[in-house]
Amino acid sequence: MEGQVIIAIGREFGSGGHEIAELIATRLEIFLIDDKLLYDLASEKKIPYEQIKKYDEKPKMPFLSRTVSGYTNALEEHLAKMQFEYLRKMAEHGESFVIVGRCAEHVLKDYPCMTSAFISGDKETKCARVMEKYHLSADEAKKLMKKKDATRKAYHNYYCEGKWGDSRNYDLCINSSKIGVEGAADVILSFATRKQVR
Amino acid sequence: MEQVISVAIFVIMFAIIISEKIERHYVSLGAGFLMLVVVLGICMHSPSAIWDTINLKEFATKAFWIAKEEGAGNSAGINWATIVFIFGMMVMVEGMGRAGFFRWLCLRMAKAVKYQTLPIFLTFMVTSFLLAMFIDSITVILFLAAVTVELAEVLSFSPVPMILAEIFCANLGGSATMCGDPPNIIIGTSLGYTFGEFLENTGLIAGISLVFVIAYFYFCFRKELTKKQSDTVRSYPEPASAIHSKKEFAISCVIFGCAVVLLVTHSMTGLTVATIGTFIAALTLLTSFKAAPILLKKVDYKTLLFFVGLFIVVGGLEQTGVLNVIAGFISNVCGDNAYVMVAVILWVSAIASAFVDNIPFAATMIPVIQSLAASTGMDLSVLSWTLACGTDVGGSATPIGASANVVGVSIAAQNGHMIGWGRYCKVMAPITVITMAISMLCIYFRYLSI
Repeated sequence: MEGQVIIAIGREFGSGGHEIAELIATRLEIFLIDDKLLYDLASEKKIPYEQIKKYDEKPKMPFLSRTVSGYTNALEEHLAKMQFEYLRKMAEHGESFVIVGRCAEHVLKDYPCMTSAFISGDKETKCARVMEKYHLSADEAKKLMKKKDATRKAYHNYYCEGKWGDSRNYDLCINSSKIGVEGAADVILSFATRKQVR
Repeated sequence: MEQVISVAIFVIMFAIIISEKIERHYVSLGAGFLMLVVVLGICMHSPSAIWDTINLKEFATKAFWIAKEEGAGNSAGINWATIVFIFGMMVMVEGMGRAGFFRWLCLRMAKAVKYQTLPIFLTFMVTSFLLAMFIDSITVILFLAAVTVELAEVLSFSPVPMILAEIFCANLGGSATMCGDPPNIIIGTSLGYTFGEFLENTGLIAGISLVFVIAYFYFCFRKELTKKQSDTVRSYPEPASAIHSKKEFAISCVIFGCAVVLLVTHSMTGLTVATIGTFIAALTLLTSFKAAPILLKKVDYKTLLFFVGLFIVVGGLEQTGVLNVIAGFISNVCGDNAYVMVAVILWVSAIASAFVDNIPFAATMIPVIQSLAASTGMDLSVLSWTLACGTDVGGSATPIGASANVVGVSIAAQNGHMIGWGRYCKVMAPITVITMAISMLCIYFRYLSI
């Protein structure tokens, strides 16, 4: 693919969204922005990585934060805004990249070169993947999935107009359990190519 | 029935404000509307109570503009004097900020101590305290913290200790005068106290506390701030760079001076804070010429509307007698023991202010302490100073306790210095407890002759 390409991937926990993003980045030979984003911000702002990692993709705590005249003590919100700014700068500079989460489909919606996809999956398949990856029992995996998805949903819905996982907000919604990681990457790449041709 | 509904309205209003789902001025105005229509109108069938709560007649009274008899304040309904005064100060502060006054002052202080980290730390604490005596703490921290971050970048030190110390001193300075913190303005205008009376009472307590506060922050951070600075030649920010127009700057200094003189002398001149606020706003707007509409546009009307709604809700609680019930409860808990009563009001105010907005809390507590004073024979002024100390300083303990805290933490975070709850409370909670203990002892020794 020629020219600027941005692939924004939203995902349910355990759906393989990250692997799909990695595969697309490898095939297109472009950056995968996930933890790199945090490392870059930590280095730019001279903050220890561990200090900001704990606020990454987290919604602000409702009773532990306050906003006064547009200023907030919610560090989650500060980090989210820094990340959105970082993504906009990358896009403005004509960089091609794959981004996982961080409300990218909303933040970069004005860039025609952006293709957005939401990756979901069947509960059983997701559970099996989480059990294998994190060495958990089925119950523990299900609990973790529920917790992570609730956090991602709250984070996304706080900053975006559209709801997390709502098909109207994404170019594609793919169930990775049906076609696998490779299949999902193929579909997204094929869509992005057709979109670029048009 | 009306008591239950009014309490429900108040509690729901508070919960929605804390949740931040809806902007707080909409919430307080909505709750105020419900209080007027449902409680005072439908339940109490009392048009006079509605009229008293809206309190527009206050503008037509001479006492609104010229000082009343001592102690002849009025806490019923909307406290228009507070709103007019805060409006006036907001206009003045916008004008001063536009002229570069605050940035100039901060940089001038840094230059005066030759850009040495530890002296800047100490000077900024005192500057924060003194400025917050006359200017709202949000503005004080907005400028001080921004300059602190800038200097920290040039001088290679962490701005976090300095910002935390500035926040605490701003809250403490705010407790020292009648115009320093909104709860004090509300207490002063509602109960008829003067600027001088605040200065002699809460001001003295704040002054004594400041000595301990400076010592505390010095011992907490002296090692961090006395690290040897590298010898590389730096370009320091010049105070003059803050001033865009010398004329505007001079005018803003004169207006600020006028405001301070008028406030300090208002018990002698007989001018109320409402008159002073109106005069200062008019003076700022007249001297700003073309910039006047910009200044008016920048006034924080949302906060003023929040106050209007809040006063209606508290007025409703007062009309229904709920606050008398609360006062009766406190009276039963404390018995006739003035020491216990002071301790309860001080610590409950401090703890509540550490987690919820201190403005609604103070507004609610004023009729309560009035009722307490009437029923127990306790001196109302002692309870007022106790309430002021608790609500103004108690908020320093947590990042959400006071507006200055939120703004300070936010400015630090915007520049990559993350101050979470743990880091904040580890430093600020102990000094808040120490300051509260000092305040309590001061009140005991001075007013209750221990």
